[in-house]
Amino acid sequence: MSTTHPGPARVQRSGPGPSAVTPKHLARAKITRQRRGSRLKLWAGLVCTLVVVIPVALARVLPLPGPDQQDLASRRLAPFTDGHLFGTDQLGRDLLSRVLHGGQVSLLVGLLAVVVSGLIGIVLGAAAGYFGGWIDTVVSRLLEAQLSLPLLMMLLLVVALFGPSIPVITFVIAIAQWPEVARLTRSLVLVEREKPYVAAARVLGLHRLAILLRHVLPNVVKQASLVVLLLLAQAVLLESALSYLGAGPQRPFATWGRIISDGQDYITTSWWMVTLPGLVIVALVVGVNLLGDGLRDRARRRKVSTS
Amino acid sequence: MAPYLFKRLGQSVLTVFLTISTVFVLIRMASGDPAAAYAGPLATTEDLAKIRAAFGLDRSVVEQYLLFLKGILTGDLGTSYSFRSPALDVVLDRLPFTITLAVAAILITTLVSVPLGVWMARRADTGRELGANVVTIAGQSMPDFWSGIMLLTVFAVLIPVLPASGFATWGGLVLPALTVAILQIALISRLVRSEMAKNLTAPYLTVARSRGVSERALVWRYAMTNSSIPVVTALGTRFASMLNGVVVVEVVFAWPGVGSLVVRALETRDYPLIQATVLVTAALAVTVQLLVDLAYPLLDPRVRLGKKVSA
Amino acid sequence: MTRSGSGPELSRRTLLRWGAIAGAGVTLGPLLTACAGPTGTPGPGTLTLALNRSLVSLDNKLNQFDAAVTVQRGVRQALTRVGQDLKPQLVLADRFELTAPTQWTVHLRDGVRYSDGSPVTIEDVSTALKMYQQVNGSFIAGFFSEFPTVVPVDDATFLLQTERPIPVLDYLMANILVTPSASNRPEELQDGIGSGPYVVRSGNRGTGNYSLSVNENYWGPRPSVPNVQVRFVPEESSRVVSLRSGEVDVIDSITPDSADQLAGLPGVQITRTPSTRVNQLFYNFRKPQGHPLADPRVREALTYAIDGRSLVQDVLVGSVTQADGVVPTGLEGAVKTGEYVYDPNQARQRLDALGVRDLELKIIWESGEFASDTSVMEAVLQMLGQVGVRASLQQFEPGGDILSWRQGKAGDWDVLGNGFSSPTGLAVSILQGMYAGTPEKEQTRDTYQGYVVPSIAAQIADASAEPDAARRARLLSDAQKAVWATWPCLWAFVPNAVLASRSRVGDISLVPTNSYDLASARLEG
Repeated sequence: MSTTHPGPARVQRSGPGPSAVTPKHLARAKITRQRRGSRLKLWAGLVCTLVVVIPVALARVLPLPGPDQQDLASRRLAPFTDGHLFGTDQLGRDLLSRVLHGGQVSLLVGLLAVVVSGLIGIVLGAAAGYFGGWIDTVVSRLLEAQLSLPLLMMLLLVVALFGPSIPVITFVIAIAQWPEVARLTRSLVLVEREKPYVAAARVLGLHRLAILLRHVLPNVVKQASLVVLLLLAQAVLLESALSYLGAGPQRPFATWGRIISDGQDYITTSWWMVTLPGLVIVALVVGVNLLGDGLRDRARRRKVSTS
Repeated sequence: MAPYLFKRLGQSVLTVFLTISTVFVLIRMASGDPAAAYAGPLATTEDLAKIRAAFGLDRSVVEQYLLFLKGILTGDLGTSYSFRSPALDVVLDRLPFTITLAVAAILITTLVSVPLGVWMARRADTGRELGANVVTIAGQSMPDFWSGIMLLTVFAVLIPVLPASGFATWGGLVLPALTVAILQIALISRLVRSEMAKNLTAPYLTVARSRGVSERALVWRYAMTNSSIPVVTALGTRFASMLNGVVVVEVVFAWPGVGSLVVRALETRDYPLIQATVLVTAALAVTVQLLVDLAYPLLDPRVRLGKKVSA
Repeated sequence: MTRSGSGPELSRRTLLRWGAIAGAGVTLGPLLTACAGPTGTPGPGTLTLALNRSLVSLDNKLNQFDAAVTVQRGVRQALTRVGQDLKPQLVLADRFELTAPTQWTVHLRDGVRYSDGSPVTIEDVSTALKMYQQVNGSFIAGFFSEFPTVVPVDDATFLLQTERPIPVLDYLMANILVTPSASNRPEELQDGIGSGPYVVRSGNRGTGNYSLSVNENYWGPRPSVPNVQVRFVPEESSRVVSLRSGEVDVIDSITPDSADQLAGLPGVQITRTPSTRVNQLFYNFRKPQGHPLADPRVREALTYAIDGRSLVQDVLVGSVTQADGVVPTGLEGAVKTGEYVYDPNQARQRLDALGVRDLELKIIWESGEFASDTSVMEAVLQMLGQVGVRASLQQFEPGGDILSWRQGKAGDWDVLGNGFSSPTGLAVSILQGMYAGTPEKEQTRDTYQGYVVPSIAAQIADASAEPDAARRARLLSDAQKAVWATWPCLWAFVPNAVLASRSRVGDISLVPTNSYDLASARLEG
């Protein structure tokens, strides 16, 4: 990204010596505001993420009824009744417990998918950017083709094909996400390839693959990894959409999408069955997105100020 | 221009061909039996074998594939098992609904996200902009099925002012289009913001400002024109992907478009219908993408088709 | 500078603008024409129905989905129909009598005609029977042990003759829809005319929306509602919301939970009647000798684990009744054979006494097999767990997968969630479909989950061919008691047919086969 920020230059120029710039001016300066903005985003993001992630991680330890433990006598209780913080569902199961246990799967799938798509994306993107030629043609064509594919439909098709197990769903989400990483890596490698150190390494007689692996990739991975959090957010959303459409692990296993799709049948009487699980997803995804956004802002600014 | 056009056309056709071939193979690898989904619950093994033969499913996959390719050339995509009428007709019956939804959603998106993005760019890095920024992040963090159900709960259940499902009146378009637009607004307005912020601080704008060009013209004529390429491209790409069916939103609102059709065709293992839907929507999406690419030189005279922009 | 630049820019802009207008025209054109026809707001003379299944055909040769029956019968008719009391009523025929053990005499009603004014002929009936016979995998044909042949006597009178007696032919013929013979084909007809009170004015098979209006040439009394709109709304919650807000007038086959949500709302009325369907958790009868489930005592012991009252009251909110026979006891020829009793201690003791330990059961079913299916299955899982039986669930999306599982070709299972309805209103139809399996049929895995008991099959066959009513009833009763003694189900229940309508809709007479007569419905306001 080549966004130019005139801010830092101005601050640097006014840095040394006595000047008319007071701390008040500095506080209002663009760079300060930007820094404050990104710090705010980071903190808000961290809080939102942890509010969801910590209870999800501790779901087994928390004093909650089991996610599949039914009590047919207390069906569809409103939140805050009889110790059910989120109320109960159509079979009298504790909704909070189901949401938290379901979250474990969503998070696990999300994390795994990001790792897999990251690996595929970096490998293919780097190869395309570095070697060019037919590899680049093939990868670029694949990237383009995927843009015009009916993506969600293909994913549903693959799930129908191999069955809705966690590895399949993870793989399917990774397939949906690798283009983003690949495109970014490819463009970064294209820039990096032309730098003098690569030429130097080549003159030293290093193998091309060795240059790519040992010199180019380490310089690229850090920047490419900035999209990880954004991908995680997308993966969580995609997983919930798939399970909403019925492509989730076998019942009675709770997943976020399924809890909401079950609750949809009761929207006229039991608002919490859709609203609360949805809010949990939103909190997590907003948090992760804010974190990712904040980190990216910071990295971008650092890059600008060092260049 | 002409060679470029042919090259791009060739690529588009190839993309559609590869897509449809992949789908053809995938659905035949998938478990499930169209004959069983088609026949009644009392069908015997013998009945099923007869149905399979009638569908041509007893032939080898290669043979089926060749027949399918021949069908594409003659415009015959087979008969849908579950609708019992030509698959292409079923898709074309439903396509206008998806197009309407996509057009409405992209209109709302453009009308909201461009002013919002410009506003954010002009107030870049203020507290209010930060607030708007967080709102757009929230917009792109909501699962669309959930925001759809929430809108439905509020505007069709609590305050029943809008229809909940289907497309019997134009009012039925409001909720689905809004649901689709929420995510798109979030994405596009952020793009507009970053493009505009870049242009608003560019030297040429300072020059123009010093020459006394009004602030309004600066923003809407100068900066906007230069920001329009990435924005139009993004809008076009979004529109193209919507033509592939806004699956989830169509399911939530029982919208009779191709997205909900695909889900149903998959469930009933309706091979001809799946193939026809994919073929039509992929072709449409690729065409829109092609049109967007061809529109570049209209927006930016520096762009000559087939050549890289050197600027 | 700015002026000189505006020349090409203007032309670009104009181009873009024209392009946009052309694009909008191309995309919206077909839609506007599509919308002009079938869709519109429900008016004073229009009854709007929302079906949960797309009406792909106004014919029933292949399959008969409950949702479609009402509209199909509004357009096409049969010689008879099954009424509210589950007895056959005369429609196109005004005489339908058993005149010899293998012979029925039928007389076509005077003046019955199709919507184009042409008369219904004997030829049409005979062609219709042939076409149903020729369709592969027909659900309706399965109820006929043999198809009768039509022997004309005069212009309007004919005989239906069979090899063996079919004493319930008047029930069965209620499902054979009559169409002009020239346009009848051995497939589900997509168009063509019928003799019913309504005609299809326009329809979109892709979206499942149809618009019907009164048949001006109808031979019977003119229906009071001039127009009927049929909409396809697959999502249950959307149907409920649409009915609440008055967008649609009638939704049928609704789930217990929807009925619960709608009950007591102003402007909404709920109609229920016990249905002709039985939903079962059916054991797998293809288990090898020595497997616990091959022992009827184990099958019986497990039934004590199921808390039927809770399932009926809490999960299915009182909209079903626990089965007290092997078929719905409202059916012609059905008898009560026993009760499912909930006693978890008894279940545990019996299983222990039989030496059954660490039993694991796999329950399979197809999504949407019956209303609230997932909740029932999840609840059953819990109940089995409480008597020490570990169960797992496998839900199939509709797509044909479950068939190969049911036949034991794709994987092993223990209990199947399945529903079986009798569109004829006869107990014998269900008994034949489920319990009359023979070793020959089992070779191709075409029996009902491997249920092969030759003595019972023989009893059912005898009963279905017995012309003497009293003897037939006795034979049927014996067969049902024999079936019950084999404990074929973990649990079973008879759902109610439930329909919700706006209060402006009057005289919807819901019959147990989950359909109603469109011609008798009324609209107020």
